[in-house]
Amino acid sequence: MLDVALVSLINDLSEKAGADGVIQFWQRVGENLASRMGKEAYLGWPSFNVAVREGRTAFSIEGETVTLTDMAIMDVDGDVVGYLYALKQCVFLPTILRVRYSSGDLPRADREVAQEYNESHHDIAICNFCVFHERFREEVAKNITVSGQPLNCLLLATRGFTGETKISTKNLRKIGINPEHVRALLRNYECVYALEMRGARLKEGD
Amino acid sequence: MARLVESNPFVEVATHFFLEDLADKVGIQGLNNYLIGLAKTLANHMPEEEWRDWKEFMEAIRAGDTMLSAFEDVVTLTDHCMVTRHSPFERGWREYVKRVGSFSPAHKNVAEYYNKNVKPTAVNSLHIILQTFRAAAAPRVKVGGKGVHYAQIATVWPDGQRMVASDAERTELLKKAGISETKLRILLRDNAEVWVLWADK
Repeated sequence: MLDVALVSLINDLSEKAGADGVIQFWQRVGENLASRMGKEAYLGWPSFNVAVREGRTAFSIEGETVTLTDMAIMDVDGDVVGYLYALKQCVFLPTILRVRYSSGDLPRADREVAQEYNESHHDIAICNFCVFHERFREEVAKNITVSGQPLNCLLLATRGFTGETKISTKNLRKIGINPEHVRALLRNYECVYALEMRGARLKEGD
Repeated sequence: MARLVESNPFVEVATHFFLEDLADKVGIQGLNNYLIGLAKTLANHMPEEEWRDWKEFMEAIRAGDTMLSAFEDVVTLTDHCMVTRHSPFERGWREYVKRVGSFSPAHKNVAEYYNKNVKPTAVNSLHIILQTFRAAAAPRVKVGGKGVHYAQIATVWPDGQRMVASDAERTELLKKAGISETKLRILLRDNAEVWVLWADK
């Protein structure tokens, strides 16, 4: 029931502190959680991707994560410096259903927080939990090294309960991947993100 | 209502951190008040219910069709004694200790405040939400036109910590539940919650 209570809490907080206050709150919580999870090191991408498959990385708290090994990110020299990862199901979806079948519908604050975030930070949020999620992943990535290099996380695309999709052209450009590739991925996945080595020299897209 | 799908434990872990952040801001007393307010709001958002008689209500409890059992699997030991086999918070807590580490002391501290100032049946912050929710939800349920009352008898956390209603209150509650002190001790071996429901006379 804690997740359903959380929805009420967001509504209450939004009334008191506004949508922007909720965003700040969520981002702080995301940072705190990521910092409590500690540092991790992997010898290379194969070792990291096995850890992802076995649910051993800090990212695994989100649930089953799929490594899209056919979507490697290359640097200017053609070396693999990252991959795309995806969640089949949005972390918040079960909560949306639980709210729907227990108390009714999601409060207005859920959409207001997402909208405010899309306008003021990054146009990628489908629901208020995306706000927490993006910051959490960014902070976790900093604490993980692959071949001695810390990672950087880029949220690329999201698909919501009602079918609405968001694709971050800004982040896709950074890793040189075409939005159409990601659009196709959204048929199977609800959340797609990239992990790449921090400081890698990438060939930017158009 | 039927059984709800299970939540993603990540959302629960995030909520724990939300509450910890709140405790840093408003203190333990403030968090206690916040949790109580939160649970009451949640109960008030759920539609009121009416059941023909106590038998139908007990069937609804067992099937998860009433708000009083929407978030947990409840066994009806007698017509008034409810037993929750597993805490609805266990999955989230296990994920927290597996991925993050030991539980923040804020959750225990606020329970101590609650036990001292409200009633001595919470092991941690989550029980404040659950027990306040049940207390606020019960009057929203009518059985044969009569209001329903709730009281907590005992709470056990997966690590074995337990809190039991005060001696003075317990005798009366066990009588209402229709179980003995010995039976209660047996139940506390492998269940998470023992609570009692009854209707207005």
